[in-house]
Amino acid sequence: MSLCVGRRAKRGGKLLGLTATILMVCGLVLAAPVAPALADRNQCAPPGLDSASVLPKDLTENRVVGRDDDATTATVESLSAVDIGELGLATPGVLTVGTLSDAPPNICVNPEGEFTGFDNQLLRAIAKKLGLQLRFFATDFSGLLAQVASRRFDVGSAAIKATDPRRRTVAFTNGYDFGYYSLVVPAGSAITNFSDLAAGQRIGVVQGTVAESYVVDTLHLQPVKYPGYATLYASLKARQLDAWVAPGTLASTVIRRDDPAVVVANAFSPGNFVAYAVAKDNQPLVNALNSGLDAVIADGTWAKLYCLWVPRTLPPGWKPGSKAAPAPDMPDFAAIVANQHREPVGPATPKSTLAQLRDSFFDWDMYREAIPILLTTGLPNTLILTNSAIIIGLALGMVLAMAGMSHSRWLRWPARVYTDIFRGLPEVVIILIIGLGIGPLVSGLTHNNPYPLGIAALGLMAAAYIGEILRSGIQSVDPGQLEASRALGFSYPAAMRLVVVPQGIRRVLPALVNQAIALLKGSALVYFLGLVAHQRELFQVGRDLNAQSGSLSPLVAAGLFYLILTIPLTHLVNYIDTRLRRGRAATEPEKDADMVSSTFGQGIT
Amino acid sequence: MTADTAGRASVSLEAKDIHQTLGGCKVLCGVDIQAPAGNTVAVIGPSGSGKSTLLRSLNRLYELDSGDILLDGRSVLRDDPDELRQRIGMVFQQYNLFPHLSILKNVALAPQKLRRLSPDAARDLALTQLDRVGLKHKAGARPGMLSGGQQQRVAIARALAMAPQVMFFDEATSALDPEMVKGALELIADLGAGGMTMLVVTHEMGFARSASDTVVFMDQGKVVESGPPEQIFEDPHTERLQRFLSQVL
Repeated sequence: MSLCVGRRAKRGGKLLGLTATILMVCGLVLAAPVAPALADRNQCAPPGLDSASVLPKDLTENRVVGRDDDATTATVESLSAVDIGELGLATPGVLTVGTLSDAPPNICVNPEGEFTGFDNQLLRAIAKKLGLQLRFFATDFSGLLAQVASRRFDVGSAAIKATDPRRRTVAFTNGYDFGYYSLVVPAGSAITNFSDLAAGQRIGVVQGTVAESYVVDTLHLQPVKYPGYATLYASLKARQLDAWVAPGTLASTVIRRDDPAVVVANAFSPGNFVAYAVAKDNQPLVNALNSGLDAVIADGTWAKLYCLWVPRTLPPGWKPGSKAAPAPDMPDFAAIVANQHREPVGPATPKSTLAQLRDSFFDWDMYREAIPILLTTGLPNTLILTNSAIIIGLALGMVLAMAGMSHSRWLRWPARVYTDIFRGLPEVVIILIIGLGIGPLVSGLTHNNPYPLGIAALGLMAAAYIGEILRSGIQSVDPGQLEASRALGFSYPAAMRLVVVPQGIRRVLPALVNQAIALLKGSALVYFLGLVAHQRELFQVGRDLNAQSGSLSPLVAAGLFYLILTIPLTHLVNYIDTRLRRGRAATEPEKDADMVSSTFGQGIT
Repeated sequence: MTADTAGRASVSLEAKDIHQTLGGCKVLCGVDIQAPAGNTVAVIGPSGSGKSTLLRSLNRLYELDSGDILLDGRSVLRDDPDELRQRIGMVFQQYNLFPHLSILKNVALAPQKLRRLSPDAARDLALTQLDRVGLKHKAGARPGMLSGGQQQRVAIARALAMAPQVMFFDEATSALDPEMVKGALELIADLGAGGMTMLVVTHEMGFARSASDTVVFMDQGKVVESGPPEQIFEDPHTERLQRFLSQVL
């Protein structure tokens, strides 16, 4: 908007701008065609036998020969020989599982907030055979193996390919699935094969996956790394990437017919099978899971789940479980595919970029689906995390402020060091250090529940900032105030408590509210620690729904919730700031206070 | 009007050979002061002569290097300094009222917290003291809404509410507008006439001459000359005092 408005008309101009923005947004939303039914959008529902596929031709014809399968065990011990007391579980009788929420059909969260997908459903069946309970936690793939190795999780379930480099970190069960890479490119790209990839192209991979090592070690190229599949694919569709080296099953699931992206080539991974990861020194659990896997293969559960979630032909010469496991009874996928007469997947009618963006950001049905979950799960958790952290931050911050002003260096220095460290480190690093570093030490207290650790990390971080804010406020109080209180006969602590600190806090209220806003937004980072479904805060809920549907609308909806929380706070800051200024004008001996409040006030907008 | 409305009688104050170093700089070099009970001692002298430091040393806001302070003939150096300061009221040049509290709370805070009066009793006491300085009607206001002269009267009421045995005034009228000075000085003079022992650091020579029993002239951390006001102003002995008086009168 290039409206030339005078100062007097400024408010009117603002209003006009706001109205225009709202109208534009509404127009975009109303112009959208009726969105497809919700069931179609849930990528975390089992696709069923109807979606069966045969492996791409290039896989069987130009097969890359991996290393010999010498990791699969010849046989397994019988189920009755498994002693579940000897499995080294963090909580006896409960299998703590680290998984992802965003990689359907293997691993995902369904609209009910349940961790499911082929890998997790199979693990449920195996656990049932073993008589174990299951607890799922979502985490990032990049941190999953480290968390399994440190026994934060008993098992990692995330379509993990059992490669040799990974075997140095964790142990693997026998294979339950196989994997290959698909090369995904934007529609109309000149890239048609892996050999077309070259330096200078933006090749997307998910960090820490075999796709990353494939691009680096086999193709000798530098990929662009993403934390999750959902954002990666969104980037490709928005043509921010030249190519995506994707897990084959995932690619065929998430790419919809009208998406401006297409699979142009496939390749077998050098790592030969997909398995569950277990801590390296926990052989009893590996053995138990191998027994359970063979058992669910023998009773047909594996084949049932495979046909439900990931129906496709098995590569020649591969079968799940130990070498002694019976070959699963599979339907003739080629015949099913032939009967379906499905049109080949391809860019039927690529949507315009604008339509693409509108579908991504303003999908009304997704808002309708997201808002109740955001309201019942995300909002309470965000508020609990933020408020607890603020309380810890205020209490500890006051201690730090007092220590920082002390005459004793034994108080001053530790406060200084603490503040420097916790203010100087990125928030993510602090959360990971507290969650993964301190977590195992206090697991007896927290029962491996990362929620209190997240609160602690946020609170400790907030304390460093709040301590400095309080200190600056207290030190800005005229020294005459302390002198006058002492002259009346108050002790130093009483003078601080009754006279100096209350004035100091008043002056930095705007800065404190700003800190609360920062903390509110920072609470989203707790998802790094792996939260169970009912612990997810606003951002994680939005992120999971985004992963389920591929639509960015749930994230926008989560953003709206943040705005609903932060905008009143921002205005509260402005109100306090104005009131402080007006109050100052009448009170002569406190000119410096004005400076403090306005300095902090500037950071608001 | 008597000084001991709140129950404590005025006492004598004596300072003996006070030495004080602040931040490595020698500020007081052997100061002696004698204020018999009920007397008003005016302390005059050029800026930087150590007058304000003397007051803060005598109520132990700054601890002494050496010397002794006698209150009612007894040394107070071993007393709890917080307890000592409850017995010595102090009024500052910049008033130093608590801007976050109402006028009433400013006066009632110390009696309630330190003399352990009930909130009601502290409130009644505060209203009495405010009435005494003519500001009862401002009890609900904030310090920022009062003029400088009014603020200074509140500061005096705040000090009196602790029923001090001695009062210190540290250039209490220096920050006031000229038309406010007279009223404030009259209030201080009334207080002295009512029998309060007072140490008044002032630049108002008229006040020192008419309202004090003894005038002490300080320069460079020492008492140069002291005596009754007639002697100091009519018959200064030392050359330094003569020069000072010729500059300020």
